[in-house]
Amino acid sequence: MTRRSFLQAAGPAAPLCAATSKAASSLWGAALPPGGAGFRLVDVTSQAGIFFHHNTGAFGAKYLPETLGSGCAFLDFDGDGWLDILLVNGMDWPGHKRQRSTLHLYRNNRNRSFTDVTERAGLAIEMYGMGIAVGDYNNDGFPDLYLTACGQSRLFENTGKGHFIDVTEKSGLGGRSGFSTSALWFDYDRDGLLDLVVCNYVKWSPEDDVFCSVDGERKSYCTPEAYHGSTCWLFHNRGNGAFEDVTARSGIFDASSKSLGVAMLDYDGDGWLDLFIANDTQPNKLYRNLRNGKFEEVAVHEGVAFSDDGRARAGMGVDAADFDNSGRMSIAVTNFDNEMMALYKQGRDGIFSDAAGVTGIGTASRTRLGFGCAFGDLDLDGNLDLVAVNGHIDETVRHIRGNTGYAQAPLLFLNDGKGRFRDVAAPVGEGFAEPKVARGLAYGDFDRDGDLDLLITTNNGPAFLYRNDLTNGNRSLRIRLVGKKSNRDAIGAVVRVSTSEGTQSRMVKTGSSYLSQSELALTFGLGRRARADRMVIAWPSGENQEFKNVAAGSYECLEGFSIAAK
Amino acid sequence: MSAHKAAEKSGSPTIRLLAGLAITLTAVVIYSGYTIAQLRGLKQLQEATMERNRKDSLLLLRIQNNLNSLAVAMRDMVDGSEGYPLIAWEGQFRRIRADLDGALRREQEYAPGDPTSGQRNYLMGSVAQFWDAVGRLFALGRAGKEKEARVLIRLSLEARQEALSTAVARLLVLNNETEQEATRRTEEIYARVERNVYLFVSSMLVLILLTSLYLVEYNRRVFRQVAELSQRRSELAQQLISIQESTLRSVSRELHDDFGQVLTATGAMLQRTAKYVLPAAALRDLREVQEIVQKSLDKVRSLSRALHPVVLEEIGLESALEQYLDSFEKRTGLRIRYEKNGPGRELERKVSIQLYRVMQEALNNVAKHSKASEAVVRLQYLEAATVLEIEDDGIGFPGRNKIGMGLISMRERAELANGNVEFSSGKKGALVRVTIPAGECAPVGDHAPVGDHA
Repeated sequence: MTRRSFLQAAGPAAPLCAATSKAASSLWGAALPPGGAGFRLVDVTSQAGIFFHHNTGAFGAKYLPETLGSGCAFLDFDGDGWLDILLVNGMDWPGHKRQRSTLHLYRNNRNRSFTDVTERAGLAIEMYGMGIAVGDYNNDGFPDLYLTACGQSRLFENTGKGHFIDVTEKSGLGGRSGFSTSALWFDYDRDGLLDLVVCNYVKWSPEDDVFCSVDGERKSYCTPEAYHGSTCWLFHNRGNGAFEDVTARSGIFDASSKSLGVAMLDYDGDGWLDLFIANDTQPNKLYRNLRNGKFEEVAVHEGVAFSDDGRARAGMGVDAADFDNSGRMSIAVTNFDNEMMALYKQGRDGIFSDAAGVTGIGTASRTRLGFGCAFGDLDLDGNLDLVAVNGHIDETVRHIRGNTGYAQAPLLFLNDGKGRFRDVAAPVGEGFAEPKVARGLAYGDFDRDGDLDLLITTNNGPAFLYRNDLTNGNRSLRIRLVGKKSNRDAIGAVVRVSTSEGTQSRMVKTGSSYLSQSELALTFGLGRRARADRMVIAWPSGENQEFKNVAAGSYECLEGFSIAAK
Repeated sequence: MSAHKAAEKSGSPTIRLLAGLAITLTAVVIYSGYTIAQLRGLKQLQEATMERNRKDSLLLLRIQNNLNSLAVAMRDMVDGSEGYPLIAWEGQFRRIRADLDGALRREQEYAPGDPTSGQRNYLMGSVAQFWDAVGRLFALGRAGKEKEARVLIRLSLEARQEALSTAVARLLVLNNETEQEATRRTEEIYARVERNVYLFVSSMLVLILLTSLYLVEYNRRVFRQVAELSQRRSELAQQLISIQESTLRSVSRELHDDFGQVLTATGAMLQRTAKYVLPAAALRDLREVQEIVQKSLDKVRSLSRALHPVVLEEIGLESALEQYLDSFEKRTGLRIRYEKNGPGRELERKVSIQLYRVMQEALNNVAKHSKASEAVVRLQYLEAATVLEIEDDGIGFPGRNKIGMGLISMRERAELANGNVEFSSGKKGALVRVTIPAGECAPVGDHAPVGDHA
């Protein structure tokens, strides 16, 4: 019996109907059967030995950068096959020094616990850190770090011996100060070397700080309208350890942008990586790769610059993925509260339109101010789910807005595979839905049990590590790619896994989310299946490899060679 | 008779009604056409001015926004805080120009009034000059003359941008004024349409009211005439029946009294004559004559009784019925059952004669048409009425619409007795029921004999 026919059958007994449907909806909202989401997220932060507190340096002056940090990353810095954790940190402002605070690097002990190796790794350096991008820019097999900061961002080269050296100046990335936010590594010119994109927010320094006030007396945090925009940077990797600023030459330059999030994608399917940049109160930008080292900005034409009613929203985090297994990438963007998240989906004509409303994401995200967001198949059913972490920028917000709080619950949208998302943050348990002032979000399988665990950072608060405990018995196919002709991290490679249900596609990518980086290995949910019918790897070099009848499990593939269980 | 003539004179209202309908429909069509034309005019006005105006304003705002973006970009270029050569802004300018050109082109389409008016010409000219200057700016930038380029921005481009901004603002004000004018005109049209609708609706109401009044009056007249005619016809029929009854009664009396007495006397004289000694042949003839006279006397009596059942007056309805039914049974061979219910009561003469006649007519119909083998005659004395039913087991009444003279006369007779008659098909065969209200039945003992007894 459909709802309509039920209502018709009930006829004029309107109050009864109303009561029934209300009861039904509350059942739907709250009472998933035990394990109904198919998995539980267990807070294992302290159990894993992660004791971190983000330092904003706030001392009362209410400087803009204090509201925005910071990011986190899942990376395997020692190449042992177990994911390590990096948490970016801020620091006290000059002249207001109270404590020493640095980023923290935690090495995976391979027994679900971590050891803080920051000092040993040579990373105990104070900087006003914002975000992180991890990529093996020198193709030596060990991931290097680009840490964005308010001030001078830094490039750390991984020596492969457990520590890092600062090569900012040597690589030509020094001598530039900015309010840098998200960054990503990608090989836009397909020369096998990772190039670097860095987002900048606004032109801000403590000296240029503007007085903003909500109540007209006390200072509050400014909105970005108070400051000039700042261009993003594109650095071309010359292959000799040095980078060249090609921002202007490539057409990326745009001094009006106030960028927070960046995602790489190939929206036109031409095999060349394009860039999406989420801007705060400014139109988003979509840079199409013209395959000649230049980009063309096409966001307005492609329909991703504005909301559907033509407003520039406050874009924060972003992720791009083929969530509907259509072979085409859609783009999710977190925005300010009362703006709803965006889910730009390509129509038949290739033009994007915002599907947040029809998929159920819009209404659920209306009251949240979102930052990190990521597509990941958390229940391994073969459909990419969407996680968004939230939190307001202003602690005084609870006094000025009715429907929103400073700390806000994350959103965990389960994809039903039929174009609808349902928030299951509360039922997955263990305080995951506890309100947080969250910023960074990354996923990775730190315990190597085949599913995606979550790492969340908060502003002026702790980080959270949530272990995913699957209860639905689903299996996954995980694969880590190692490029030979392509860049060694195989960033930009697209893997397609086919089962009788359809074909999932995932791109090896850095960037996305907000200030954060997830693992580079790809995870495909197979449901209850023991194997996938087919797996095709499209390498950035243009090579393609195909494997048939691949059993569930964890693999590694060296470009041009067969897959090996790992 | 005069009412009938009047009806003929006034004729059927159909033609006049059709004419009225045609006039009304024409009025509705004409008025609808008029209203549609008015509304279409309004729509055109709105489309032509207000909608265009709205779109034009939006485009002007978009142009204004582009001009602001240019201003911001030029400010960034002049303050040099980005650390990039000025040529880096070329892409940004190109994007803004593409959008600005598109907006300007579309704005021309929507612009109210003359697109080649002074203001617009000025705007287009200024835009062209601005881009010329931008071209020079980037040429300087490419040549590495950053300082000259910055001076160009400060001295020329920023001023031009401001002038453009002012021109666009003026056009926006103009649009606002046009919109106000269009709003005023739209309101006028709405008021006119509203007035006309009220006028039309009220005239339609008056027309409908007049037509209704005319119809009501006409119907009333027709009904009156019909009622009069019906009354007259009924009176005539009843007069006819009365005349027939009285004629038959007097003929019957004549037969009974005069011929009867003559024949009775003749019979007595013949009897007396027979006492004389007469030759056998004469005696035989005499007996023969005596028999003929006796037969004639019987016939005269029977005829007299048939013409007017004197028995009714002598022995009452019930006995008369029984007598008649006996003779009817014998005459026709039809089996008749007679049932009587309730305490009997004396009936007025005019009532009993009519009941008797209806019974006669009904039984004659049964005998002639019904193909029945049996009939029931029920006489019921109810508290409120006397009911006489004649039911047979024949084929029933043939066609519903075929009402013969017999049935009409039955109805008239019932009405003469202030009662009514119903014809229906019973369980089997036909049923005739006459109901005479009790008020028309005189209480027992109040019976005034009518006519002379034989």
